[in-house]
Amino acid sequence: MSPPVTKRRKLEHSESDDESQGSFAGFDETNGVDLDGSDAEDADDGSDVLMNGLEDLDEDEDASEDAEEDPKKEEYVHPSRKQTPAAKRRAPSLQNAVYTAESFKSNMFKLQLDELLEQVKPKYGKKEAPAENAMRTLKGIIESIPHRDPLPVIEAEKTLKTAGVAVPFPSPRPPKDAPYKLQYARPASVNATGSYPLKTATRAEEGLSIDLVVTMPKSLFHDKDYLNYRYFYKRAYYLACLAAGIKASKEHKFELSFDCLNGNQLQPVLVVRPSGNGDADDFSSSKCQINILVVLPEHTFAQSKLLPNSNCVRPKGSEDEAPNKTPIPTPFYNSTLQSDANITAYLKFFHGTASKADAFKDACILGRIWLKQRGFGSQLRKGGFGNFEFVAIMALLLQPNAETGAQSLSSGYSSYQLFKSTLHFLSRGDLTRKPFIFQALNITIPKAETAPVVFDGPRGQNVLFKMTPWSYSRLRSEAKATVDMLSDSVFDHFDAAFILKTELLKYRYDATLEIPLASLQLESTGEEYDQRLSESCRKIHNSLTRALADRITALSFTMPEQESWSISSRRPMENQRKSILINFATDPANATRTVDHGPAAENKLEAASFRNFWGEKAELRRFKDGSILESLVWSVKDSSASVVEQIVFYVLGKHVGAQVAEQAKFTSDVLAYLVPAGRMQGQSGIAPFLPIMNAFSAMEKDIRDLEDLPLQLRHIRAADSQLRYASVDIPSAGHYPASVVLQFEGSGRWPDDLCAIQRTKIAFLLRIAELLVQLDSGYVARVGIENPSQPAQNQAFLDVTVSAGFTFRIRIYHDREPTLFHRQIKDKSLDTPSRESAAASLALYKREFIQSPLHSQVLQTLCTRFLALSPSIRLTKKWFASHLLAAHFTPELIELLVIRTFLQPHPWPVPTTATTGFLRTLAWTSHWDWRHVPLIVDFSSNFSENPADLEDTKSRCMKSEDLERLQTRFEAWRRIDPAMNRVVLFAATNLDEEGTTWTDKAKPEKVVAARLTALAKGVTQAVRADEDSLLHYINNQSATKAHDPLTPESLFTTNMSEFDIVITINPKHTLNPPKKHKSEVQFKNLDLQQKSTSSFSSSSPTSTPLPLLFAQELLEIYGDAVLWFWDPETMDRIVGLWNPVVTGQRGWKIRAGWNSEPVKKKASSDGCGGVDIKANKAAMLHEIRRLGGELVKGVEVKQ
Amino acid sequence: MAPEAPQKMKKAKATPKTVADFTILPLTLPALPGLPESHGDAKHYMYIKPNEQNIATADDERSLFIANVPIDASESNIRALFQEQLGGAMVERVEFDGPVPALPLHKRWKGDRPTKEDMGGAEEKRGKKRKRTEDAAVIAEGVVEDADSALPKLWKSEVRRSGSGAVVVFVDKKSARGALKEVQKAVKDGSKTITWKTGDGVGVERYKAHTHLTYPAPSSLQASINAYLSQFNALESLRNKLRKTSRSVPDEDGFVTVTRGGRAGPARIEDAEKKKAELEERRKNNGVKDNFYRFQNREKRKEAEGLLKRRFEDDRRRVDEMRGRRGAVRPET
Repeated sequence: MSPPVTKRRKLEHSESDDESQGSFAGFDETNGVDLDGSDAEDADDGSDVLMNGLEDLDEDEDASEDAEEDPKKEEYVHPSRKQTPAAKRRAPSLQNAVYTAESFKSNMFKLQLDELLEQVKPKYGKKEAPAENAMRTLKGIIESIPHRDPLPVIEAEKTLKTAGVAVPFPSPRPPKDAPYKLQYARPASVNATGSYPLKTATRAEEGLSIDLVVTMPKSLFHDKDYLNYRYFYKRAYYLACLAAGIKASKEHKFELSFDCLNGNQLQPVLVVRPSGNGDADDFSSSKCQINILVVLPEHTFAQSKLLPNSNCVRPKGSEDEAPNKTPIPTPFYNSTLQSDANITAYLKFFHGTASKADAFKDACILGRIWLKQRGFGSQLRKGGFGNFEFVAIMALLLQPNAETGAQSLSSGYSSYQLFKSTLHFLSRGDLTRKPFIFQALNITIPKAETAPVVFDGPRGQNVLFKMTPWSYSRLRSEAKATVDMLSDSVFDHFDAAFILKTELLKYRYDATLEIPLASLQLESTGEEYDQRLSESCRKIHNSLTRALADRITALSFTMPEQESWSISSRRPMENQRKSILINFATDPANATRTVDHGPAAENKLEAASFRNFWGEKAELRRFKDGSILESLVWSVKDSSASVVEQIVFYVLGKHVGAQVAEQAKFTSDVLAYLVPAGRMQGQSGIAPFLPIMNAFSAMEKDIRDLEDLPLQLRHIRAADSQLRYASVDIPSAGHYPASVVLQFEGSGRWPDDLCAIQRTKIAFLLRIAELLVQLDSGYVARVGIENPSQPAQNQAFLDVTVSAGFTFRIRIYHDREPTLFHRQIKDKSLDTPSRESAAASLALYKREFIQSPLHSQVLQTLCTRFLALSPSIRLTKKWFASHLLAAHFTPELIELLVIRTFLQPHPWPVPTTATTGFLRTLAWTSHWDWRHVPLIVDFSSNFSENPADLEDTKSRCMKSEDLERLQTRFEAWRRIDPAMNRVVLFAATNLDEEGTTWTDKAKPEKVVAARLTALAKGVTQAVRADEDSLLHYINNQSATKAHDPLTPESLFTTNMSEFDIVITINPKHTLNPPKKHKSEVQFKNLDLQQKSTSSFSSSSPTSTPLPLLFAQELLEIYGDAVLWFWDPETMDRIVGLWNPVVTGQRGWKIRAGWNSEPVKKKASSDGCGGVDIKANKAAMLHEIRRLGGELVKGVEVKQ
Repeated sequence: MAPEAPQKMKKAKATPKTVADFTILPLTLPALPGLPESHGDAKHYMYIKPNEQNIATADDERSLFIANVPIDASESNIRALFQEQLGGAMVERVEFDGPVPALPLHKRWKGDRPTKEDMGGAEEKRGKKRKRTEDAAVIAEGVVEDADSALPKLWKSEVRRSGSGAVVVFVDKKSARGALKEVQKAVKDGSKTITWKTGDGVGVERYKAHTHLTYPAPSSLQASINAYLSQFNALESLRNKLRKTSRSVPDEDGFVTVTRGGRAGPARIEDAEKKKAELEERRKNNGVKDNFYRFQNREKRKEAEGLLKRRFEDDRRRVDEMRGRRGAVRPET
């Protein structure tokens, strides 16, 4: 059998060596794997081959196979090489620095990568030793299993049944009258394989899995056994014999079960788990399982018969007939068979590659981590792309390519470069259309093949044969996203690439469709169940993709998991109570389109296919431009179902089955309804703001046209969240005035004195008010006064209410003011309070008059570019308000957090619904280590989508120097203020490098920031738990029958019991909760009219709510003794927390800064008891009650 | 007072009667609905002593200093307190510190002490700058506001910051002493309950009034602006004149004082900046080019290398710190 290939056989460790291994070199001969130390020489030649293979494996080989599922490996060799990388890492020298900067993206990246690699590699030490022992034991047992004579199928099965083992025949089961016989003979070899011996395994919480390969002797097979599943039947029998043998072993007890290799029912494997009884064979402490795979010796069957376009499963009864007709190719069957034969070949191949390219193994580990975080696996149901496939492709790319003569990757690449180039290859071309054929000629890929093709010529197998079209498109997009991240020269994205788990349905996708398996009605026949299921999936996939077209950007399937089964029973039918999840990422620009245009009526062929697909939904319409097209019209009247949902159900019903459409459940954008107009309607999320935006432009124009103003207007700019699509409620008549900033042309006639400038501004405002009212177009204008305590700051504003009911608050910006403030700050002859107040005023001035308009302008642009940005911001703000945090965070800061999610969306694409935007923002916030990491938003990135300003944006783009500078500034703040009393969060953008514009003066304070983190973590956990329970549910594992989805409101409810003081506001004075559900209705004009009549007539629309005035006064009165919180949207409660540091008992002091009560100190040892003071909390509550008067309904305190 | 190690008090009853030289006066608070029951009998404590200031004033001996006044204290309820419950001493006025909203903060020279008027929040505000040696009114920037030129007030009444103090000025020395005695007696006695009267003008009406006052009538606003600006203009021309003289006339030592002169409008600043940028540009173009000499190249290389090294060290430090606080770098599960 085995050709004398091997010459490199080395023994692995000869003998017991558990550790001896270090070197491959050391081994010679013998079959590689001696588990027990004894060299297993049983081997015939065959075994040699194996051995080689094994050894290779051990060493480096393929790390790729997934540890868990691929059973090929064992390990043995332990780790010889562990210390090298670590040692290297420890002492980075300058050369390293130079080196890494080039080949590892950046030093930071390289250092983190090293750290990561070190963390995930198993230690190959004590912990793994019991498992290695067990492997050795197993090997011994297997080698001593007695030979079984050939028996006809029925009898063979019967014999094993008496031994308590059911043969795991694949479906279809072998015919009763099969002319061939099944037998067992001693294996050609037994070896460890896979990633564990290669040292490319990683630690994971579900434990390692180690593969043990048992190579069957060639003598069992005939030349034609590749046909009609014969090989697989023999294989199944062989495996059952192994199971029976291990089970029969008296001394050694293991838990045995069958499973399918990669979920491929043709390839059952035997899973060995620790018995848990604590005896010598118990390897529970290793946290791993051992998979025993049965494989075919190489070259048993002619390669040419197993090419992708040959047929190996002859139609029934036609084995000899109809020779002229070319039978349908069976690429999947062929590849499965080849993969059994190639396990050893791949081991050798990977081992060889690893010895040529030093970084290969590390790159394998990176690939493994990357795949895991994205939920890919070799399992058919997980997409059929796992570690093995990744490594195989990388190894192929490292070979000189026959066609081009050059290799795509160089063996001198660093692990990072290997990893990135492999991803680049995956993202690049479409392998389903243009197969990648490596060193093979005349390979024809059958038309029916739906999997992508990477044909490995020397081994004659399509590496990607297990992939589905949807998993391949997901792989490409993930690979592309990661390549993009890694190509970003400014930000590091290490976390996004390797640390974050990205395949979280709630975060990654916008909508989910749940289809119960039962509704597919597959259970009626057991035969070929898997095939029928995958056909159903393909059908669903094809019809949904065609129907949804550009409305979605991604579609993926989450299939229920398969389970292993007991060796004493046949493979059970899959539980039909499980479900399939289909996930969609929508494209907001198209998802809500209500009319689809099909082909023109004259185009008969296409029109017919269109009609055929859409059935009665298709209608012929004549459009404005005269064209007559087949088209579809979706209703938007029914506001409960989005267009996507309607399409999905229609198509399911039409093409998959009425019962499927009936039982399927569709969920999308579940949180959006919490804010008015949160779900996107029509084309954009900003439409509801159009009335106020239009009113603003009209007012601007009117003011510009005023002729009697003494100075020319330079501009009027919006500086308010209502004018940048970011207020929780849609502004309507009676809303809080929207700030705008007005600037005149420069003039030398302004006074050169801050206080006098303020008065001059008032004079201007009075004049504008007068002129506007004279216009007679319904303007109501009145000047208001503010900042009475700071005469140098802005003193007045002008509230202009337009006829539609919108109100704008105009303040005048004079560019001389900052200079005067600067002068005052620098004037050494002034006393400290004056200079401090000047500094504070300057910061305020810059924020209100410079940064806020700029920020508004940027946000306006971004909201039109990213349609989901506006609803996401509003939902996030709503969350802050619901948790009473809103008063502690400037709106701009919250907006920046959300914008960051959109501009640096990695590892996901840009969010396309309010829900995903919100959840991802909170997910980032929850792990934002604000003590040590600044928030940096680069507005200029991603602006390239608009080709018009592509060129000059390039130059404006943030560079790594800019980032460096911001980082330095941030670190400087932390040095100045290490206790974070003044600056807690640092938020900078490329337009505002201060970093403290929105957060200075402890806004928020440290405790509040910590609370934000805690609350965000809470939401993230709740959402993850919800997802877990959903996954349990689709796997039918949950205790309860129905999946109980998270109620959206629960994320928006804060726990009052944590606060010391709760002041309930008299309902007469609270703000009316906005009529949420109503305003989602389409008829905005009606809605507007109602509001304008109702609220306009009542109280004066534009004043600050009284409870808010009360709350602000509380802030001023109690300073830092109490931390106050409230929800500005409702103002129904004001809650407070005592500051324990400030208000605790302390020595007597005249001006403690809070209402105190004297307390006698316990007589101290010297006899004289002094007097301490502590906060007189009861009296303070009385004060608050008196101050609020009728506003306060009641005050409660925490017991 | 030197703070001593704080210790927990055992019983609420043992409220001390004095602390330092203050007498502690407990006040019973009016019962109001909506408060938790446990707080029904809450007391407020005021600390009272004769007024002594670092810089003595004439009023000192007829006044008392009260620390920790309730936030709704006002002249009327303090006056009522002494008159009705503490022996009937006649209060002339009460000066509070820590009013809310805070007093306008004006520029002040180092060493200037806040004046009495500032302390008391009196209507007229002092000029922002006063040079001691010269005519305050002339050299100051801004205007000393009077009733005409001040902006209208936004609040009908003030409240106090929590725990702030007040000076109560009595009509004469005798009343002050009598009042203090009365307080001491009441404290010693302990049987008499002294109740606090809710300040006038607090409650929802105050906020309603504020909303109203925020928008003064345009006419009164205009009048105040006019008054202010005409005062300002008069002062400004006076100031200019003064500056002009000091610019042109040497002082007794023969020096000419440098003062701000002419106009410095924004337009001129922009011009100046433009010019500056231009000059810099020119200098850049005319200077020695960067790679002209070999040593320049060498130095540049060296610098780049150093930078690389520094960066690397920085990064390493950051990663170490990161590990220190986050623990190991491990993929999220």
